[in-house]
Amino acid sequence: MSRRHRYRLGCDIGGTFTDFLLDDPATGGFRVHKVLTTPDDPSAAVDAGIAELEAEIDGGTNLMAATDYLIHGTTLVINAVIQRKGARTAILTTQGFADCLEMRREIRYDIYDIGAVYPTPLIERPYRYEVPERLYADGAVRQALDEDAVRAVFQRMLDDGIESAAVVLLHAYANPAHERRVAEIAAEAAPGIAITLSSDVMPEIKEFERTSTAAVNAYVKPLVARYIARLEERLAARGFRDGLYLMLSSGGVIAPDTARAHPVRLIESGPVGGALAAARLGAMAGDGNVLMFDMGGTTAKSCLIRDGGVPIANTYEVDRVHRFKRGSGTPIGVPTVDVIEIGAGGGSIAAVDGMGLLSVGPESAGADPGPACYGRGGVRPTVTDADLVLGYLDADYFLGGAMRLDTEAARRAITRDLADPLDMPLLDAAWGVHEIVNENMAAAIRMYVTEKGGDLGGAAVVAIGGAGPVHAADFARRLGARRLLVPRGAGVYSALGFLVAPVAFEAARTKLTPLTGADAGEIEVIFETLEAETAQIVENAVPGADIGFSRAADVRYVGQGGTLRIEMPAAATPAAIESAFLAAYSARYGAAYDDMAAQIVTYRVTACAVQEQRDLTLPFAADGGLDAASKGERPAFCPERRRMVPHRVYAMDRLPAGATVAGPAIVEEDSSTLVVGAGAEIRVDGRGWLTVTLADTGAAS
Amino acid sequence: MSAAPQFDPVTLQVLWSRAISITDEMATTLMQTAFSTVVRDNHDFAVGLYDAEGDLLAQANQSTPGQLYCMQRVMRDLLEAHPAETLAPGDVLIANDPWLGSGHTPDVFIATPTFRGDEIVGFGVTCAHHTDIGGRLAAPDAREVYEEGLILPICKLYERGEPNALLFQLIERNVRIPERIIGDLRAQMAANHFGGERLVAFLDDTGLERLSDLTQAVVAQTEQTMRNAIADLPDGTYTHAVELEEEDAEGARLEIRLTLTVKGDEIDIDYAGTSAQVALPINSVLNMTTAYSVFAIKCALNPHTPNNKGTSAPVRVTAPEGCLLNPVFPVAVMHRTAIVFYCVQAIFEALAAARPDRVMAPCGTYPLWVERFAGKADDGTPYVGAFNAQGGQGARAEKDGVSTTVFPANVASTSIELLEAEAPLLCDHKRLIPDSGGAGRQRGGLGQEVVLRNLAREDALLSLSGGRFHIAAPGMAGGGAGALGRIRIGDAPPEGRRRQVLLATETAASFAYPGGGGHGPAFERDPAKVLADVRLGYVTAERARTDYGVVLTDDATAIDADATARLRAAPPLSPD
Repeated sequence: MSRRHRYRLGCDIGGTFTDFLLDDPATGGFRVHKVLTTPDDPSAAVDAGIAELEAEIDGGTNLMAATDYLIHGTTLVINAVIQRKGARTAILTTQGFADCLEMRREIRYDIYDIGAVYPTPLIERPYRYEVPERLYADGAVRQALDEDAVRAVFQRMLDDGIESAAVVLLHAYANPAHERRVAEIAAEAAPGIAITLSSDVMPEIKEFERTSTAAVNAYVKPLVARYIARLEERLAARGFRDGLYLMLSSGGVIAPDTARAHPVRLIESGPVGGALAAARLGAMAGDGNVLMFDMGGTTAKSCLIRDGGVPIANTYEVDRVHRFKRGSGTPIGVPTVDVIEIGAGGGSIAAVDGMGLLSVGPESAGADPGPACYGRGGVRPTVTDADLVLGYLDADYFLGGAMRLDTEAARRAITRDLADPLDMPLLDAAWGVHEIVNENMAAAIRMYVTEKGGDLGGAAVVAIGGAGPVHAADFARRLGARRLLVPRGAGVYSALGFLVAPVAFEAARTKLTPLTGADAGEIEVIFETLEAETAQIVENAVPGADIGFSRAADVRYVGQGGTLRIEMPAAATPAAIESAFLAAYSARYGAAYDDMAAQIVTYRVTACAVQEQRDLTLPFAADGGLDAASKGERPAFCPERRRMVPHRVYAMDRLPAGATVAGPAIVEEDSSTLVVGAGAEIRVDGRGWLTVTLADTGAAS
Repeated sequence: MSAAPQFDPVTLQVLWSRAISITDEMATTLMQTAFSTVVRDNHDFAVGLYDAEGDLLAQANQSTPGQLYCMQRVMRDLLEAHPAETLAPGDVLIANDPWLGSGHTPDVFIATPTFRGDEIVGFGVTCAHHTDIGGRLAAPDAREVYEEGLILPICKLYERGEPNALLFQLIERNVRIPERIIGDLRAQMAANHFGGERLVAFLDDTGLERLSDLTQAVVAQTEQTMRNAIADLPDGTYTHAVELEEEDAEGARLEIRLTLTVKGDEIDIDYAGTSAQVALPINSVLNMTTAYSVFAIKCALNPHTPNNKGTSAPVRVTAPEGCLLNPVFPVAVMHRTAIVFYCVQAIFEALAAARPDRVMAPCGTYPLWVERFAGKADDGTPYVGAFNAQGGQGARAEKDGVSTTVFPANVASTSIELLEAEAPLLCDHKRLIPDSGGAGRQRGGLGQEVVLRNLAREDALLSLSGGRFHIAAPGMAGGGAGALGRIRIGDAPPEGRRRQVLLATETAASFAYPGGGGHGPAFERDPAKVLADVRLGYVTAERARTDYGVVLTDDATAIDADATARLRAAPPLSPD
């Protein structure tokens, strides 16, 4: 974009806090602000926060009039689904299939648990209406759409007070004509009902997954439309003219109109920021391959970034009955930054399990009552308690000293619940908590990397979040990683990601195309159609912008279940696509076969407005020597020697550029603490991050 | 018993989780590279990691229980036939003998030794249910296992990295869609290969020399928790019989007889008195019988720990040779789930005497329903596949039964759109059946009705499965029975009980999947829940009155409290 920015504002509505990040490119300064979220009307918190920020800056300025880029993320969609607070929603589907949403895939997510329950369908049985019509799998019409029946259904919906409807007809991914005709009829018969077509939100085969996705979109559509309208009103009242963008789960941002049409694409913008910020940090550090590791109080999140790109998954699961059990939730098939969430954080509770072994999480003490050391009524030992006992945290400098920790309470909890029953020394039990939570996270991430067909290779670990840098060294060793990148402001770093999100939109089309003997022209036409579609959406968001496209295809051997995503340049020949597939397949599975035919399953295009990239560094100006940064020494646990040894302690914001620090050492800042052991070396980069090279000792344990 | 001394409770937890995570990664690889819907979309497979001695260390969480248990036995047999010292890098072993493995020929086990240097450090093993293994396409009237496709002797599929060409030719010549079968074998090898790489990295990282110490510690720990759980049950002998609707040659109904003895921290399960094996493909080899017996005990007593041979160590399962649950070669065995799932019912019903809160009422999902089909599309392309859908589960003491969800196996239903894209079949409808869940304080899960139609000019061959056509899933603790199952070809029931039928063009086969049994007296169900069931169409107003004693207003939107109180005060009619 060529427009000159004054202020850029990132605003993320979370469950508890609404966070603001104000970026003043003129000074290079960032300002972070938080207000309590207002669940009944989330735009009220946005409004209040803006007012407070305005007062903070320099009183007189009209902040919003001077802001021409506002990136907004919201948990509105996910919360509406989880709390079942969406619109009164209906499904209109092919006769005979109204129960699809409720019958799911008929498989259990836990093979031994006979007490298992499954999510209540978003749309109740009485509001799942059927109409006569039928397509064959190739999209040909078997039975014409009964338009009178469609009209009658919309009349019943009006009588039932329906506000929003998902139209899901069998095989609509192959031929959307019947669904589109239903939309036309709805526009006449029931113009007040918001319509979602399954062929728009997820034009892919498998009726349950598509129904589930369309249902979520329909369920939140009126809510999101009302919310955006209210927000625009409030912003306009404060002088904001133009430049509101909504954060998508796919890591792009888009204009409000597009968000209103595809609200399911907004489902989870929270984890996106960390992934974008880590990718940007990797790029600044000259490293396109990094593993984002963001460990907070309740969960840890991770994301593998390769060649600078944030990975995108095309299926996602929300509203799980068991938060960390796959298959226990509602699947949605929209592009989403592929971030894995693990039930491991500072608040994770440690206990002796039914096997007589030490286990950690997924149960969490959260912030209330919190870890035993918070002294707020929590008595069960947590990861934070273990970190405190191990000397990794400073009882007097937690959150920069804003909260004093009770070390004795932590020792008591670990002794009573872990060390005594296991007949282990206190420190060994505490270290056990530390390494088990690390192994839990590492195990989940190994699985995640495998599913993506990836290899951690030499990826550096970007350690962020309050607990991330505390656990990063041992965690990284378990994954075979030897290098950490720790940014200044690690504890709040993910918020910065909003400011580097591109204006971008992805579209996909399922069309089985055999690669042998394929018509290059046919492939090109599909890609060009998708480019035209996505370009229009991006152009609408950023008029006049230069738009770049990236193309990919999901390719497999004919008949196979999984696909490999193959990125390709424009006008790639079928032969080139096939050989890229064979190479990728062989690299991943050990062998490729020339006696099996390959085919494209899904075409994917992302259109992205070309924008300049903002550096993501918090300003710092340390000009003293290493001594000026020193905060002395304190004892902390050394796993190799299994006892406390002295660690030098430094203040992160006083470390001078170019300095190196040898482990064992601790580097503190308000929002987080980095701990490294003997043999590790920390280098201070001039632009605000630390590069840690770990000792080559093999994984712990 | 306690963990081997060299592992403290922290280290053991760390190493154990990592071993399980390797098998989960193998399972992912298998699903992503498999060609058949059965593996990739229905998840009909199992994955394990073994030590060099052939003992199971860890299994993937996402596996089906029958194969999970049986694969522990398979490795021993493979190593007996091909001792570890005779194996070389690049060797791959294969087996599918029902009496060695999981009780029917389509389940093919592939084991790949993992070498570190010259030494075997472990084995990656996968079992996958293949779409076809030859023979009469899972003929429901088969008498001998010879009719059920190829039985591969334990042999090498690859030797030192070279494919066993003769074996591949043999398979290709004997199955309906060779590229899919070969593709799935390759997927199994890819998963094992992947597991091997991970295993070597695991040993390198942890400094472990070998896995066997870890296996022993893991097994000991698992066994101890299982023993603790069993010890919580009161000692005693519980006997139970389940009458089956399957019949012997003389037309007499078959029966499972169970004597379950709890003594201290051990359970003895004996099937003495169970009917003799029959010349039908429903016999369950002892491996499979043991698999589902141990599974039932684990579900009831100790569901939340990882599974390995420690789970089964304190549970002894015996069945007389030559009975339905321990049949003698070469009797047919393909549809063993028609019988063996009732072992779970027998055990749950027996345990209900001691712990009704820990078990579920009998399910409409016994037996498993898998309709296999084959034929030719109008363009001459052959097709073969399986259609999975299931009935309702039994109610639990505190919860309603789950509708249309598989149990105790764990395979997903077939997507209608995928089915129609891969075969010239068309589904008229797939919907829940009102009133099919057994009435009870907790209601049984609902069954469903599916109608499939042949679109091709050529007849489709359909191998019918399913059951509960005559004996519904009974209730538990006073609960009512679920609805019966039913199959129609066109308008008529299929002739005979177990058979293959030809489905002519535009002819429909309709399947009503049975409901699960209820738990507790239906007259004790909260009327508000009954009203909600009526509103959602799970229960009709008529049955709300007759089964639950709940009278609704004429528009069925509210409870008529007085009429309900009067009706419920009267003794409930005895179920017919």
